[in-house]
Amino acid sequence: MSHSEVQNLLLLGGILFALGLIGFLSRRSLILMFLSLETMLSGVSLNLIVFSKFHQNYQGQILAIMVLTISACEAAIALAMVVSLYRRKPTLDVQAWDDLSETILPKSTEGDYQGLEHEENYPKLSPAGLDPLDRPVPSSMQASLDQDQKTSPIVSEAK
Amino acid sequence: MNPLPIDPKNLPLVSGDPFQGNLAQILLLVILLGAVAYLLLQHGLIKSKMMAWAGAGLFAFAALMAFTSIPMQLDSIVRMCFSILAVAGGVAFVTNREPVHAALGFATAVLSSCGVMFMQSAYFIAAATMIVYAGATIIVFLFVLMFAQKAQLQWYDVQLTSPVIAAAVSTSLLLAIAWSVSESGEILPVKLDLTRPYSLAAPGPSPGLTMPPVPEASMTQEQLDAFVPGKTSGLGRSMFTDYLLAIELAGTVLLVATIGAMVLAQKPERDLS
Repeated sequence: MSHSEVQNLLLLGGILFALGLIGFLSRRSLILMFLSLETMLSGVSLNLIVFSKFHQNYQGQILAIMVLTISACEAAIALAMVVSLYRRKPTLDVQAWDDLSETILPKSTEGDYQGLEHEENYPKLSPAGLDPLDRPVPSSMQASLDQDQKTSPIVSEAK
Repeated sequence: MNPLPIDPKNLPLVSGDPFQGNLAQILLLVILLGAVAYLLLQHGLIKSKMMAWAGAGLFAFAALMAFTSIPMQLDSIVRMCFSILAVAGGVAFVTNREPVHAALGFATAVLSSCGVMFMQSAYFIAAATMIVYAGATIIVFLFVLMFAQKAQLQWYDVQLTSPVIAAAVSTSLLLAIAWSVSESGEILPVKLDLTRPYSLAAPGPSPGLTMPPVPEASMTQEQLDAFVPGKTSGLGRSMFTDYLLAIELAGTVLLVATIGAMVLAQKPERDLS
């Protein structure tokens, strides 16, 4: 096995890895991103096999079998995750899950963490419902004691 | 304990021709390929048939140059054909907008790299990769793809996340790989793995008593080539003697992944409260 052959095959593994990296960074479909990962792993195991042939022992091939096992596990878990994600939002777009990364909150700085250590810092809840001072309840819906007592169950119970 | 009667420091080394330092050409080629990759990524194979043909012409030209510069032997020709098929399948995988076509490009790339692995006398791994990737992974991925695929092309298939960053990052990565690979120098091939000696002992009722022939410095190149690991039986013996713990761990990981996949893919139970 000549050096130029080793060189060519290592370049082939590198090219496969780079193509997979391009695919993983640029594609948006979840399934194609995982296929890009598999392409990268294929390039890596090709690399290992070339070195195994070059050094004439079985270490590289054993490591390639390990890579194969892990990639099979990864494919199984990834497909299960894609299926269960698809049940929640019927799309394969990876950017549909961008809100998992808390884009609403401002970026935390070091001072925020220091403040958290000393004083209790409760989250501010957004106001829910209507403010009765701003919008008074219409008089037809107001409960009062001087209405007809038969139509008011609260008053009849109190009586 | 070393059951082999040879000194690890006195291994016979076969020195091949050192690497030729054609660094600048390879680096220029890589940068050119990066630019082509960016253009293909940006416009896709569907929208730009002209550019695809131009790329194929460039590729054929480069292949012709390589064929004329490399000494012609049958195995090198077959290896180069497999390599070209693998790279073309990878390019088709990355640039095709249609997901099923992209998956078929991936299958082409993986099958061709299996051919290369077969020529590197890794028969078992080539067969296992064919079964696992092209058999199981592609089929199941296509199944999920058709389960989730709408009738027409979705906008998330057409639009890319950040093609400039992707092309730049992987071009620089490939640049580094090409640089380190094409650096002139020599790797000393280690003939035998003496740290894992059990697989080298002869099989039988009394292992260790009958030694297989070991390479020595006085052997000729043909005799030394007989020690190239080309037998699947040798790989199996090495797997189940030297690397037994690792293989068992891999089996455990597979089991855990199976259970995890089954749990993850279950339908969530309806909340009764």
